[in-house]
Amino acid sequence: MDPFTYFLPAAFNQKKLLKNIPSEPQYGLSLEKTEVWQGILLDTFDEKMLGSNNMLFQVGERLLCFDLQSGQLIEQASPETWSFSFDLPDGPVTSILKGISSLRAFLPVAKVELYLQHGTLLDDERKTRARLHHLTISRGGKTVGVGSAQYLRGYDQAHADLCQSLEKLGAVSRGDVGQVYEFLKIKREKYISKPVVRLNPDAPVKESAQTIINAFLKIARRNEKGIIADYDTEFLHDYRVGLRKVRSVLSLFKGVYSPEDTDRLKQDFASLMQKTNSLRDLDVYLLNKKQYFELVPEDTHEGLEILFHYFAGERRKEQKLVSQIIKNKTYLKEIDRLQKLFAEGAALIAGPKAEEKSIAFACRLVHKRYGKVCSIARGIDEKTEDEAIHQLRINCKKLRYLIEFFAPIFPENEIKTLIKSLKALQDNLGNFNDYSVQQTFLRQVLSEKMGGFGGTELKVAESVGALTAMLNRLQQKERRQVMKNFALFDNSETRATLAKLFNTKESVHENNRLLQ
Amino acid sequence: MKIIACYSNKGGVGKTATSVNLAYASAMKGRSTLLCDLDPQGASGFYFRVKPSKKLQNKAFFKDVKGFLDAIRASDYDNLDLLPANLTYRDFDIFLSRMKNSRSRLKKTLKELNSDYDVVILDCPPNISLLSENVFKTADKIVVPVIPTTLSVRTFEQLNDFFKENEYQRKKLMPFFSMVQQSKKLHKETMITLRKNYKSLLKNYIPFSSEIEKMGVHRAPVVTFAGKDFAANAYSKIWKEIEAAVKI
Repeated sequence: MDPFTYFLPAAFNQKKLLKNIPSEPQYGLSLEKTEVWQGILLDTFDEKMLGSNNMLFQVGERLLCFDLQSGQLIEQASPETWSFSFDLPDGPVTSILKGISSLRAFLPVAKVELYLQHGTLLDDERKTRARLHHLTISRGGKTVGVGSAQYLRGYDQAHADLCQSLEKLGAVSRGDVGQVYEFLKIKREKYISKPVVRLNPDAPVKESAQTIINAFLKIARRNEKGIIADYDTEFLHDYRVGLRKVRSVLSLFKGVYSPEDTDRLKQDFASLMQKTNSLRDLDVYLLNKKQYFELVPEDTHEGLEILFHYFAGERRKEQKLVSQIIKNKTYLKEIDRLQKLFAEGAALIAGPKAEEKSIAFACRLVHKRYGKVCSIARGIDEKTEDEAIHQLRINCKKLRYLIEFFAPIFPENEIKTLIKSLKALQDNLGNFNDYSVQQTFLRQVLSEKMGGFGGTELKVAESVGALTAMLNRLQQKERRQVMKNFALFDNSETRATLAKLFNTKESVHENNRLLQ
Repeated sequence: MKIIACYSNKGGVGKTATSVNLAYASAMKGRSTLLCDLDPQGASGFYFRVKPSKKLQNKAFFKDVKGFLDAIRASDYDNLDLLPANLTYRDFDIFLSRMKNSRSRLKKTLKELNSDYDVVILDCPPNISLLSENVFKTADKIVVPVIPTTLSVRTFEQLNDFFKENEYQRKKLMPFFSMVQQSKKLHKETMITLRKNYKSLLKNYIPFSSEIEKMGVHRAPVVTFAGKDFAANAYSKIWKEIEAAVKI
């Protein structure tokens, strides 16, 4: 039997609870209360704890985690300040947090006062028949509680009696953490990196473009503060994804804006993003540090350590630079201007396709892009230049973006399956590209940056050499997988879904012709 | 699921104390443990303050698995449940003898628990009956407390012979010395002699301890109220030896 997990929108009244418990059998309630602690409620920026119905509190040098789903309350020692799950010593809370996120920082949300009560419902022989754990949380004069009544095997009645008494106190079964926030008036971030966009299939595509761009610009802007504070690398990542999506709309939705506007806007967004390229590259390197070390033999680790020390230093510099740029008035003026431009839309010059119905536009573009993907893929064999693989990657990405942008006007499940069928191929091509970019980057370090390693150049060069060789090997391995993964995507089922959703039938014929 | 029986064909050798404390030691190691009180005197249940369910006393519940499962009660300790003694155990032997393949009946019932428990400990009544023969067949190991006195040793030897005659697996038997008084010459000498004859004797032993006797007052496993007592800690050492033997 699952424990009875509850949310109590009031203070816990022990006397009332005891009164509510039936007198037969003769129950006794033994309650132990901790002292009142000053605690800090923690969560990631994207509210991953709240999303999984968990609450995490820092209480001095301890962490307290309550899962409102399972009713599990766990505690663990921790440093007083920390950011990431991997900063914490091993323990039950750590393993939960690792499962929640290894990339996101756990940030303070609100200061609260809290205390715990552990209760046992005893029979006349002082045998425990049910257990109660109650966490009282107070903030700004308001008090709520969360807790669970735990069932002990064979004592169903005692558990039922306890639950009933709790319900009489006002306990709500299976509450959610959102309710706790609401009652205690804790402000929520409500940030989601993938915005929910509503599109009208019959609306002119310029409207849809504007809606999508607005949504992604908003996402980008919500990450600015986090980038400046440098809480975690996901802020910059999401910021860049937001801007990249805007650029993709501009370049993929051909003819929605005038060619002049399109070019200018593409340039504007490109220059915004460009300023953060180096920082993101360094982030990726540092995040993958462990994998890189595992790739190369141990005797090159010393050199790699020096190299990563250098990366960490470079990252600090880059972060400072990027944060200064984002704080700067010039940037703020520019991004405000762009946001306003799309929010109002009036100043944008419409292109020849601006009035086309969104759904027709979507079908036309997906059809075209799908044809292109197929024709490139079918031309690839073992001897094809890497450039063709890069082209395939770019076109696959464009195809996925197109499908994703217009996803709101198509059946959700079919779109999901379609994107899933593209995933293996995309991951494969993505890895192929990442390995290639990383090699280029390392070669650049070798040719331009060696001056900065006074005395240790040889060691660094050795490890860079070893790492480059391994990355090349991995890249070739990915390359050999491309055809297999394309075949997985290029099946009759996917073709049928594409044909059904986007009317791509003709392109299939076209491609069959190409094959012949 | 491993089934460990605690058995002695002689009473008063510390059998129930062993069952209770071994079950507690197993649970404390994080193993989900069920202690079955097969002794109609019901002392295991008493130590855990668990009352036998009135409703079930009159049911021959080995007949129906649901009844068996419903009778299980949680103890006050994590990972440790108890099947309280039931009056029908007195009739259990008769019940079993009436059934075909009666010797595998207990095994079938315990199989139903497979997903629930890592370890099942059987606290057996001190006699050789159909129930105990069922136990000999079903258990992975049979822990036998032996007081190092002539009489107690003799009963163990009888048990050993019984196993031999009836072709039960003698390697299942895990005897250990219980209620040892190192100050007694007889105890010391008996231990030395018996260790020579029975290699299966566990290395650790349980000394005589007034703390173990106090379990009846505290109604709890001895470690919970006398954690520093040598005898109390001897149970967890013995449990380690059993774990190693059954490979869990």
